[in-house]
Amino acid sequence: MKNLVTEEEITRVAKLMKIELEDHSEHMKRVQKMLEYFDILDNANVESEEIIVQETDLEKLRDDKYVPYDQKLLKFLKTYKGKYVKAPKLS
Amino acid sequence: MDLSISALDYQRGIKNGDFTVEEFISKSLERIESVDKNLHAFLKLNDLALENAKEIDRKIKSNQNVGKCFGMPISVKDNICIAGSITTCGSKALEHFKAPYTATVIDKLNSEDAIIIGKTNLDEFAMGLSTEFSAYGKSKNPWNMDYVPGGSSGGSAVSVSANECIASLGSDTGGSIRNPASFCSVVGLKPTYGLVSRYGLVSYANSIEQIGPLTKTVEDSAFLLNIISGIDPNDNTTIDNDNEDYLSNIDAGIEGKKIGIISEMTNSEGINDEVLNSTNDAIKTFEKLGASCEYVSLQMVRYAVAAYYTITSTEAGSNLARYDNIRYGYEFDTEGFEFNSYISQARNMLGPEVKRRMILGGFVPSAGHAGKYFLKALKVKSKLIKEINLILTGLDFLISPTVPIQPFKFGEKIDDPVSFMLVDFNTVTANLTGKPAISVPYKIVNGLPVGIQIMADSMNEIPLLQAAYALEKTVELPEVPI
Amino acid sequence: MTKIGLEIHCQLTKLESKLFCSCKADYREFEPNTNVCPICMGIPGSLPLLNKKAVEKATLIAMALDCETPEKIAFFRKNYFYPDLPKNFQITQLNADGYENTSIGWNGKVTVDNKEIQIRRIQLEEDPGRLIYEGATERTKVTLVDYNRAGTPLVEIVTEPDFENPHHVRNFLNILSDLLENLDVSDPGLEGAMRADANVSIEGGSKVEIKNIGSFHDLEKAVHFEITRQQSLAEREIEIIQETRHWDDRRKITVSARTKEEEGEYRYHLEADIPWVNIDSNVKNQLQIQMPENISSKKERYISKYNIAPQVADILASDKYFSDLFENANNETNAKDIANMITTDLMGLVDTREKREQSKLEPTHLTDLIEYIKSNKITRTSAKLALEEVVKTGKSLPQIIEELDLGHVSDESTLSDIISLVLSEETKAVEDAKQNSEIVNFLVGKVMQKTHGKADPELTLTILKKNLGL
Repeated sequence: MKNLVTEEEITRVAKLMKIELEDHSEHMKRVQKMLEYFDILDNANVESEEIIVQETDLEKLRDDKYVPYDQKLLKFLKTYKGKYVKAPKLS
Repeated sequence: MDLSISALDYQRGIKNGDFTVEEFISKSLERIESVDKNLHAFLKLNDLALENAKEIDRKIKSNQNVGKCFGMPISVKDNICIAGSITTCGSKALEHFKAPYTATVIDKLNSEDAIIIGKTNLDEFAMGLSTEFSAYGKSKNPWNMDYVPGGSSGGSAVSVSANECIASLGSDTGGSIRNPASFCSVVGLKPTYGLVSRYGLVSYANSIEQIGPLTKTVEDSAFLLNIISGIDPNDNTTIDNDNEDYLSNIDAGIEGKKIGIISEMTNSEGINDEVLNSTNDAIKTFEKLGASCEYVSLQMVRYAVAAYYTITSTEAGSNLARYDNIRYGYEFDTEGFEFNSYISQARNMLGPEVKRRMILGGFVPSAGHAGKYFLKALKVKSKLIKEINLILTGLDFLISPTVPIQPFKFGEKIDDPVSFMLVDFNTVTANLTGKPAISVPYKIVNGLPVGIQIMADSMNEIPLLQAAYALEKTVELPEVPI
Repeated sequence: MTKIGLEIHCQLTKLESKLFCSCKADYREFEPNTNVCPICMGIPGSLPLLNKKAVEKATLIAMALDCETPEKIAFFRKNYFYPDLPKNFQITQLNADGYENTSIGWNGKVTVDNKEIQIRRIQLEEDPGRLIYEGATERTKVTLVDYNRAGTPLVEIVTEPDFENPHHVRNFLNILSDLLENLDVSDPGLEGAMRADANVSIEGGSKVEIKNIGSFHDLEKAVHFEITRQQSLAEREIEIIQETRHWDDRRKITVSARTKEEEGEYRYHLEADIPWVNIDSNVKNQLQIQMPENISSKKERYISKYNIAPQVADILASDKYFSDLFENANNETNAKDIANMITTDLMGLVDTREKREQSKLEPTHLTDLIEYIKSNKITRTSAKLALEEVVKTGKSLPQIIEELDLGHVSDESTLSDIISLVLSEETKAVEDAKQNSEIVNFLVGKVMQKTHGKADPELTLTILKKNLGL
């Protein structure tokens, strides 16, 4: 196996992505398999390729105008005292 | 009144007075009631559908202007926002998320008096190709209910295929419209990237996905595309199509057109015999219709699936970060929790496939690995674009089977991640390159559908639809057995 | 040698709308979570819509700071989880990893105290929301979020560590404030409009970052404290570790910050919802033409064209409020007088942002005042009072003069009577005046008092001298 993904790495990434992994080894195996498949990219010989992107012009951008949003977005959100959003405690 | 009619036939029927909107909607709802407990295409129905129908009948009767949809029932994949309605994206994490605004494509349909009859089932957050990953249960293939309908727009394809509605809107990131269209024997179109607004489509991989129609006929596809396409100030990635009419000259035929058969997608070992035979048949059909066909090679196709999953998992990892259940989501109070532990627990509501993509999406672009995976994938994508552009300078269309295999049984592919990923082998190229691609139902073999995929150059939907129409006209398929 | 570098975040408060949506750029007057929309709240399915003027204003800043500017700009996602980030990523710009030359500007410079400060880069990005803490104890403390500020346009300016001492830093910030105000891109006086982090290293020591600094005043203190802290460590031969520290405003010290788990791994990738924006040379030329005159050239112009003293010109040019008044009030002949009136009598009346907002003064008032003074319709002393009244009420000068009875007492007989009265009251001074002519001024002062400053000083002096036989 060219690219051994360690348990440590998976744990670090899971923490980064705020994902809890119940079955570490099952996930590890599947993720490992997928990453091994991605190794095929090494054969693509694309080192010197320039990345193609979508472009637009300055004139096409949105005009700087204040337009109040006419709905009360707060109705659709979870709120505290009807005004704020409550977040969990920050350590 | 036949529920299997096309959108254009429906339009004619209403105009002729053959039936009323209320009658058709009523019958559709009966149909849904009767078959959907088995098929499970729908997650939710529109309570106001019948009322809307009556309203449109009133408008027609009093000679008011009525939109060209005339109240036809259309279903919408549940990752497209409709104001005031719960939009789950097939996930428990959004069980109580009520969209505060309506997607542009829905606004456009509404202004043409379509009736949105319900929201359809999908693989969670559109990640999957069999709808087996929906947190709300699987949808079944109406041609054989032991088999998957394809995905991620499985519910959409089923609803059209089983005549529960006239047409549906799905989304296609790596084949999510075309794959279930092929598996369920309906027409599925992924438009050119930027042709249809994504405002209101819950993002999975925003650099390549598009909303598109699933319909009974190619003409219907053009009809819907006319309504939903066009530049949108709410989506800066949309392009101006000068209000093209996709129905124009749809029967022009393909005499003299040059068609390339993508070898990598047609001669590979991954393709199964029934599909290969059907494809060879289709090639002969194209030739009979006056086109010339030759095998062509797109070298980068070999790397397309790896590039696709690398890029999409990275974008998904970012697009799904907002689901921390703090502002919206499902019931789970933040009281007493510390920030990091709350979020991780809240995100436990994400299904296993989504979690896997999150892990991949954290891994492949991360420091130390980005060069090997993510950047390389972007370069593969770029080279693929160059390759396909070059080859399309001498060709009108590219064809292949839509999916290398026929529909598979539930649970069959779910354990092997690599063989699972490879089901997308033929469809991801169109997404990575932004080219339009359509799946046309071609054969039923052993009771299961096979679809043929046609691709064209960017913004060439008109000739694309002409080619699809020409192929479709040669095909006579049995009725869906439900 | 001590090295100090800065990372300044400046809100483009002069814009109407946020960076990616049409909510108001200035969020300060809104009730919590009422200046929001699906885009800045990151509601699923929403898409960012880049503000054209934000790009233009940011480019102006880059040009004013002598930066190189790109042909195309691109936006990236900085991914991390935090409650003030509605999407759990920030849309920002990147100037690394092969994407150099896609942010608003780089390689600029500013001269401060005769030293050139290099500007490493300038980028455009969105501000997060604001966290508010409620509850008295640690146990009951609740983190509340107000997203009104989320999406506000920010320009981040990063300097090289070219500053040598806290004072140097302070001067730079003043220059930068004035520059931004002069460009009409931002009002630096607004609460929270300009924030800065600093990095400090002393000779042979590691670089320490200081965050959480509330104001520019605190920045100077924080930098000063940090230098001292590092020096004392060095003296005791203790290693200075490379770290991030927070400014504790209560205790006035820097403290080691707990490392956030999210730090360091941002997985930057292109923001695909925003195409790369072409900024061609035509656009840049247009902007260059529109660019307001910079402060130093204004100062030069005031000195050379209007013959205004350098210190006065300096005050006028550096303050947009004053220079605007000056430009509108002066008519070449009264320029010096207008300039002086602004920088002496007016300054104290409008020394806070509140006073300036409430001021009813118009440029024409100044023009009139100077004209009245020159034509003896009002004394300088009375003019001061009139000015105060103008700022307060905005009424016309004739009206104020009448209402406050500020008219010049230049009627000889009226004045004579008053002078006689003073002379009879100030008998000692009268005696002394005959020996010491300086005392006459004291008597003039007394006449001024009696007339509430309205007496014509020259006429008063003449009559007094006559009466005193001088």
